[in-house]
Amino acid sequence: MEIKKGLRYAKTHEWVKVEGKNVRVGISSYAQEKMTDIVYVELPEVGREVKKGDELGVLESVKSVSEFYTPVTGKIVDVNKNLENSPDLINSSPYDDGWLVVLEMKDETEINELLSAEDYEKQISETA
Amino acid sequence: MNYIPNLEFKEEILKEIGIKRIDELFSDIPEIVRINRLNLPDGKTEMEVKKEITCTLKKNKRTLSFLGGGIYDNYVPSAVKAIIQRSEFYTSYTPYQPEVSQGMLQAMFEYQSMIAELTGMDAANASMYDWATSVAEAVLMCSRITKKNEFIIPKNIHWEKKSVLRNYTKGAKLKIKEIGYDEKTGEINLDELKSTINDNTAGVYVENPNFFGVLEENVADIKNIVGKTLLVVGINPLTLGIIKPPGEYGADIVVGEGQSLGSPMNFGGPLLGLFACKKEYVRQMPGRLIGMTKDSDGRTAFCMTLQTREQHIRREKAASNICTNESLCALSAVAYLSLLGSDGLEKIGKELVSKTKFLADEINKIDGYKAPLFNSCHFNEFVVKTKKDTNRIHKRLLESGIDAGIILNQHFPELGNSMLCTVSETHSKEDMLRLVDALKEVKDV
Repeated sequence: MEIKKGLRYAKTHEWVKVEGKNVRVGISSYAQEKMTDIVYVELPEVGREVKKGDELGVLESVKSVSEFYTPVTGKIVDVNKNLENSPDLINSSPYDDGWLVVLEMKDETEINELLSAEDYEKQISETA
Repeated sequence: MNYIPNLEFKEEILKEIGIKRIDELFSDIPEIVRINRLNLPDGKTEMEVKKEITCTLKKNKRTLSFLGGGIYDNYVPSAVKAIIQRSEFYTSYTPYQPEVSQGMLQAMFEYQSMIAELTGMDAANASMYDWATSVAEAVLMCSRITKKNEFIIPKNIHWEKKSVLRNYTKGAKLKIKEIGYDEKTGEINLDELKSTINDNTAGVYVENPNFFGVLEENVADIKNIVGKTLLVVGINPLTLGIIKPPGEYGADIVVGEGQSLGSPMNFGGPLLGLFACKKEYVRQMPGRLIGMTKDSDGRTAFCMTLQTREQHIRREKAASNICTNESLCALSAVAYLSLLGSDGLEKIGKELVSKTKFLADEINKIDGYKAPLFNSCHFNEFVVKTKKDTNRIHKRLLESGIDAGIILNQHFPELGNSMLCTVSETHSKEDMLRLVDALKEVKDV
């Protein structure tokens, strides 16, 4: 299980990659492994404004259904449409092809409130 | 399921769980609310019970009934009863375990396939409680899909359906708006539909045939007005051998009452809520869904599917709080539809239309009666309007063993003295003429 360095993580297992004013969001490899085979993804509409911690969408695996949340406040500018037909991308490539949404940040300082890869690793080793 | 009494092991069981007397199990219930004994008469022998029940049943009167309005007295072939009474079906419990329930699961899969095909939808669930709960769940589903909170229904649907709808949508804070019917045809008032629909409308519900038995001719216009808003259509499945399935005129969700497919009226239940939708909405569909799959040896097998929408997995975020279905009634529907086939369904539909027309025309000939009240095509029921007091007419006819139908005065005061008369294929020409003659004889009301 890989915890990719250089990304920021939320306690609820989303990763965040800063791309200028935007952030790309996905779920960690730890989370996809726990969920097992993901069969369906419900994504939010582009243009919606969200506050940090709001529900963004739903991931459905053969065993469970989980919500995923936005790690930052902002506006949704893109969603990964490939997931509609290939939700398994989240399992096979959680940090690249399996990204979920891109948000335009309202307050860039919120990034500092998120966990580093090391702290996230510590969190999951404590709960494991 | 078999009932296996374990009384001979009572002492052993008590010892195992560490108590002396059974009463100790109830120690959490306060003394004050407990009762020592029920004031019941002594037990009776089988023979005595049988005698008593037979005497009570003799008090029942068999009437010639023209009741309908959602539950219908269509003939149930004996083969349907024989099939559903097989103990593998009759006593089987909820089919959560596919390894022991293949027969029931396959039957439910066949049921879903037939309902989907009949309605022109992509998928049907394994049934809801009844038509009313199907409508209510469809309204909630439209709101989940569109994230909007207003819904439009026709004024002329059964009042009990409206009551169930109010119960289901109260917590979700949905606003239900009613639109009227055309005074001449009894069909949806299209102008009212046009002016009521707005950006907050999650969906529109129409019935075809509607509560007055009227078949909607303007389905294409309705779809045009509804546009991208969701269209929910309520149906009587017996019509679908002769009229277009709602899937062909743009329905997104189809609901209906399946009782007429092989279940008796039973004084109002159990019923069978039909529920089908387009594939794109299947994850928002309430209730159980049976899917076809392959087992570990590659053989065709059946199992419950998309259960992650459901309460036992998704808890408070479930698509619906329904945790069951009407398996036995759905099984009756499968048996019934299989026996009828598409030819049979067409034949029964045509027979109902022509018998309904015959009865309406005959009643219309009686002085002081108008039938059907609405100038349009009717399926198996129609509104009769009269200058006389319908309550008294109904009472008088009951005395001579005829239930003339549902009195509408109270529920649709704008119609004045009116009744809803329903015909089934069990009514012979003589039966219908008996009603006509009885109506003629009632003069002094």
